[in-house]
Parts: sequence; C-alpha cells; structure tokens
Amino acid sequence: MLRPVSNLERELVRLLGAQRVLADPDSLLAWECDGFTVHRSRPRAVVQPESTAEVQAVLRLLHAGRVPFVPRGAGTCLSGGPTAGERAVVIDLLRMRQVLAIAADDLYAVVQPGVVNLDLTAAVRHLGLHYAPDPSSQSVCTIGGNLAENSGGPHCLKYGTTADHVLGALVVLPDGRLARLGDPAGPRPPGVPDLPGLFCGSEGTFGIATEITVRLCRDPESVRTLLAAFASMRDACRTVSDIVGRGLVPAALEVLDQSTIRAVEASVYRAGYPAGAAAVLLVELDGPESSTAEELEEVRACAAGHAALRIELASDPAERARLWKGRKGAFGAMGRLATDLYVLDGVVPRTRLEEALARIAAIGERHGVVLNNVFHAGDGNLHPNISFDGRDADQTARAMAAGNEILQVCVDLGGSITGEHGVGSEKLDHIGMMFSPTDLEVMARVRAAFDPDGLCNPGKALPQRAACAEVAKWPQMVARVLGEGEGPA
Amino acid sequence: MTAALEPASADELAALLRNRPGRVRLAGSGSRRDRLPPADGAVEVRLHRLAGIQRLDAGDQTCSVEPGLPRERLDAALAEKDLELPCPGGGTLGGLFAHDPLGAGGPGNVAPRSLLLGLEGVLADGTRFRSGARVVKSVAGFDVHKLLVGSDGRLFAATLLHLRLRPRPPAAAWFRRAGLEVAAACRLFQALRAQPVPPAPLQLRRTADGCAVTGRFAGRAAYVGERLRALELPEHTPDPVDHLAAPAGGEVLAGIVLPSRLPDLLPALAGTFVLRGDGRFELAVASPAAADAALPQLAAHGAHARIAAAAPARRGRGTPLDPGAEHLLARLRRALDPDGVLA
Repeated sequence: MLRPVSNLERELVRLLGAQRVLADPDSLLAWECDGFTVHRSRPRAVVQPESTAEVQAVLRLLHAGRVPFVPRGAGTCLSGGPTAGERAVVIDLLRMRQVLAIAADDLYAVVQPGVVNLDLTAAVRHLGLHYAPDPSSQSVCTIGGNLAENSGGPHCLKYGTTADHVLGALVVLPDGRLARLGDPAGPRPPGVPDLPGLFCGSEGTFGIATEITVRLCRDPESVRTLLAAFASMRDACRTVSDIVGRGLVPAALEVLDQSTIRAVEASVYRAGYPAGAAAVLLVELDGPESSTAEELEEVRACAAGHAALRIELASDPAERARLWKGRKGAFGAMGRLATDLYVLDGVVPRTRLEEALARIAAIGERHGVVLNNVFHAGDGNLHPNISFDGRDADQTARAMAAGNEILQVCVDLGGSITGEHGVGSEKLDHIGMMFSPTDLEVMARVRAAFDPDGLCNPGKALPQRAACAEVAKWPQMVARVLGEGEGPA
Repeated sequence: MTAALEPASADELAALLRNRPGRVRLAGSGSRRDRLPPADGAVEVRLHRLAGIQRLDAGDQTCSVEPGLPRERLDAALAEKDLELPCPGGGTLGGLFAHDPLGAGGPGNVAPRSLLLGLEGVLADGTRFRSGARVVKSVAGFDVHKLLVGSDGRLFAATLLHLRLRPRPPAAAWFRRAGLEVAAACRLFQALRAQPVPPAPLQLRRTADGCAVTGRFAGRAAYVGERLRALELPEHTPDPVDHLAAPAGGEVLAGIVLPSRLPDLLPALAGTFVLRGDGRFELAVASPAAADAALPQLAAHGAHARIAAAAPARRGRGTPLDPGAEHLLARLRRALDPDGVLA
C-alpha cells in the first residue's frame, strides 16, 4: 500500500490504522463496481471498520469534512448501489462479521452487517432454525447488504423479503449519531411508526446499520421439491396460475426458460434439466408432513393438466440440492455466453406473466440481443438477462435500450422496475416510469431527515435533486427538516 | 376537538388540506378515538366516506382499497374469492394500519407491515404522492408507505392502500386451555409458538380467574386435527380479544415484550393481561397509580409500553424511547408535516 497522501487519509489511518485504509489507486480496483459492471468508478479510499464505534468515528470525520461516503458489503448488488464516485470513501463492512446474539426461544438473532447470509443459517441450524430470505448470492452476500436492498430470493414467495424479517437495527446516522430502530421484541415500539421497515431498502442512503436484529424461522417438518418440464412457456405460466388459484402457497415457484436451461446444462451448474424443454418449473412445498403430501399431489395434477413433459420429484436432500443447483447457478452459467450480463429485475402482476414474457421476447428480437429468462414466477418477479460484450459500444447500447423497454412493459402492466435488486445508479433513469416528480420529492424529504447534507451514498436510489425539480426548494426543505425553519420542534 | 369534516374523495381531502384548516386529527370510523393523545382545538377529518374497493385481483392476490373501508366489508368481498387479509384488527382499513393494533398472531405469520405493498397519500399541505407498488414485490423508491404503520395518522393521510392477500386456509379450529398457573401458561404459549406452523392468532390471557391460552390452528384439515390431538388442546368457540377495556377509574397499557421474559414479568404485574404470539401485549390496571407503577417494571424486563386507554392527558406516556429514534422521528415529522398540522 502506498503511504496516504492527503489530510483525510492521514486522519483515517489515525482512526483505523494503516492496514485498514486503502488509498493506492491499484488496490482500489476491486471496489470500482458491483455486479452491475456497466457503471464503474474508483473511490477516493476504502476503509474497513470493525466496530460501531469505529464507524461512528469515521462518519464524524467525513461529516466534518463534507466528504461523501458509500457503505458496502460483499459487492454482489446488481444495480450499482455500492459503486462510489471519485470523491467518495467506501465504508467496507466485511470485517464486521460477528453473530452477536442468538435467542432461540424468542426466535431472533443480532448480527453485524458483514455476516454472510448463509453463514447465519449455518450458525442456527443446530437449533432447528434458519434465516428465511435467500437471495441467489446467499453464499457470499451479507445481511447488511440484504438490509440495504431489501433483498428477496426464491423462498420470499411464502416467507417475505428481508423487510419482513428485520426487527430492528442500530444505525450510525451520516453525522455519526446513533439511532436504535425497532427492538428484538418487535419492529415497532408503541407510538413509533415502522422505522426499520422504512430503513430496509434505503440502498445505503440513510446511514449504516452496525447491528441488525433479524427474525429466525423454525425449520419446516418436511420439504418437497418438484421439477416439471414443459413444451412451452405458456404451459409453465398457466401451471403457476393454477397452483396459486388452488389456494396453495408454495415456498418457491421458479421458472427457467429454454436458453437458460441450455446455459445451465452446459456449465458446472449442470442439474439434469431436460435440454429439449421450453421451460422448467421448480416448485418447493414445505410445512407439516401431512400437508405437503397432499399439496404435492395437487401440484402434480396442475402440471399434468398442462401437458408437462416430465415431472420429477426430489427423493432426498441430495436430489433437492441438485434440482436447486441449476436455478441458483443460472446467473453464473450465463457468464459463459458473453463477457457482460445485464440482469433486469422487473415485476408484473402474476396474472400477466405470459403476456409480459411474450412482449419481452419481441423486444429482444427487435434489438438483436441475447436474452434469457429465469424468474420468481410466484411473485411475478422477472429476471430477463441480456448477455453482451461491454467492450462493444453498439452491443452495450442495444442491451441498455432493450432493458429500458422491458422495464416500461413491466410498469405498463401494473408492475415495478425492480423487485429485489434496487434502483442504485442503474435505474435512476427508469424510476420516473413509476413515480412523478412530486412522489420523488416526498421521498427526498424522507431521505433528508436521515441525511440532510446528502453525504451518504449520494446519487443512488433517487435521481439527482435537479432531476426531480427540487433544486430550488432544497435549502428551505433541509432547513425545515433540521428544525431551523417554521414548525414545531 | 371541533366539528368533523368528511371528504368523499382523495381530491376533496387534498383540497381541504390545501385550504389550511388549522390543526387536523385524521380519523376513520372513530373507533380508536379514545386511545389517542388529546388534540385540543383540532378539526377531526373523518375518512369513512372514502370506502371503496378500487381493485381486487384474485389471481395476483392483491387489492387496492380506500382507507375508510370497514374491515368487515373487505372480509366479505374477499371471502367470495376464497381470500383473506391475514391479520387481526377491526374498524376501517386505514385505521387498522395507522394504529396497527395488537399485531399478527404468531411467528411466521403475517404482520400488517408486511401486507401493505404501497399507497397513495396526501401530505398535510395537500400534496398528493404515491409510494410502493400494487404488485407483491417492489423495491423501487423509498418505502414511505411503511411510515403509515403505527403513525396514528400523524405523518400523512392515506387515500388508497395496496394490500397483499392470502388464500383462506382450507380448515381451521380454535382451541382454549384455561385454568392454568402462570408458569404452565407461559410454557404452553412458548411451545405453541415453537410449532412448525404456529397458531394464528395466539393469545395468553391472565384474568382474576387464572391464565388461559387460546388460538387457532389453520391449514389442511388433517394437520389441524392432528395438532389439536397431539397437543391435547380442547376445541373452543373463537374469542380473540382485540383490545382490553379499561376498568372504571383504571387504564390500559399497550406494548411489546419478548415472550421469554413473561414468567418473571407477569407475577410482578397486577391486572388483566393479554399477550399475542408476536409479543404485543395489553395490560388493564385498576388506577393511574398502578399504571405508573407498571411502567418501570415493564422497562426492567425489556418491554416497551405506553398508556393507551386513559384520561386524555395521560395517553401516550410510556417507557422511554431511544433518543436517536426520537430525534429521527421528529425530523421525519418536520419533513412530511413541517407546519405541524396533523395532530
């Protein structure tokens, strides 16, 4: 590491020691982007605090110098959320990886933000418990990152997203002040609105959570995993509608299209999916033994009713792991197709899946892009994946144009531009599809309550203030939030 | 409180607020009026005429309803589609979320905060806005709508709520085991919370007659029957308690507590007590002095509570809030209602 050169870096080294302050441009390469590789920028410095007190000290220093900063976990975000500008300091939280408390009787755990999602479940497995939100990157992504993005995953269909499992958080606000939101007993002490719910999904723009209290779930008595292969995507979608229409609530309902199946089967994630199928549907049922047995027969009947080519039931945990391997590895498998992958994350009402997929295919053809679909069918959460070569300006432009149109289709059908990946820097140009400038202004007011100086992950989640027509009002609004204007204290 | 205003649409409500009517207390049907701190001189704005079901998408298991819609009307409409809103609470839908009564029934069950997908609302200055989405999953924009839950209508008014629904379970059965000592009741309560599919709702009640644990198993018929038999739980007619009534001259405290603290806490508290499966409780005590005495006991056991039903001047007092959260809440109030219109 080169010696720090500026006063700021010297002060950071004084707080954390030289080993935990990175400022040499070459050593910053690993922090120049997240999973959304289109936007890249090397930060001013990276610091690696190990405690709440260290985070507070760093934020006080940055706040005093009006230096922007960006909290970061494992960097698996897919929307550019933790990508920092040249002036910003990255607060890397991977060294804060302790499970601080496990309360089996009261079904909660307290963790530091750098704890890896799957490691939490590993830490409580012997108690018959697990942490339910399961993003595909769960073997590397962190709970802090999940909190920032309100991450989902296949099993969120039944169990809800991260926000449904966060009871509280100790937050270092951008000025270094501490706020304890929620409580292990519940997210909302009487007389207080749902502050943990608001903080969750704020994309690292409200502050840094240094202790996160999450709900733990009992392991189900039984789990049954079934794969059904279909000759058309239409049959797969209609099977999904039938399953839901019967009042079943599977733990997961996932679909992979033909090109994804082929990519998976040609990769190290090979799962034995039928290569000739146009779509495969993965259904997972969990709950009491007697219930899952009955539900399995209903699911089987739904699939058979839509001419499933093959229905395969996992007979043991190894079989189950094999069936899931292809789904969980689908994004990795697409790395074989091109140097870059643009992972979209639109949502449509479940009843509009078939129509949405047809329109997405047409958009892909019109732009001449390589497009695969793997999605959380039960939630209507689509992941159209566009493979392209980022070194080729034309391919990149066509990928971005196709993505733009796909997100517009999702909104036109009554859905959302993002179900679980966040807006980050990627979708700043798309958020106006869903929200008016006034809607965005209200959100900006809420952000200013946490971060009046706009130092915490600036330029993410909401368009720049000028873009939401707020630049003229901003100083007065901040003054009011700070209590310097009229209104009660 | 001065005379009530009753807008019939979101446009009317926005226009009313733009005209700066002074301080405003938002209300639905008014059923929770007696549980809020006083709002002297405020105009009551009742939203009960905004009572439509704008959209009910059975296939997507979502709906959009106006805040003045009575819960029973929504339940009737959902029953026709074999759907339900899986959380307890009555009154209007807006009131249910704004006041978030005694929460969901048990771990793993759905809390009101998880059922609110998005909303359309009006700020105190008449500005109309949207947050969240109609679909079951969206992380676009900040979740301003989450601030409705538990806000007591003091941050903004909701004019349309987008809600997540669930299929009605194919079978359900209520049970009640009464005449229990505190320790035995707590053990049964925790054992039920630890079930792979816990009862919902689930309540532990302590009255002068002793303790009782009551609840509802729901799911496949075979499972429901098997659970009742295995746990030797007698079937009973449904009798969940939404709120305790204050005894004459007495008060009710409401709050949250970790259920594992109950065996130590409960013997230290006098009065009727109800605990839900998600840790929310109510305690009815004989006098204001008893309420004041209970608050430090509750705090010592890690509980958070405030006086909910009492003489107006005493409502809202409670265990201390985290100073950082209190600071943030004050800033949020200034951000959304800088003139302090909403009382």
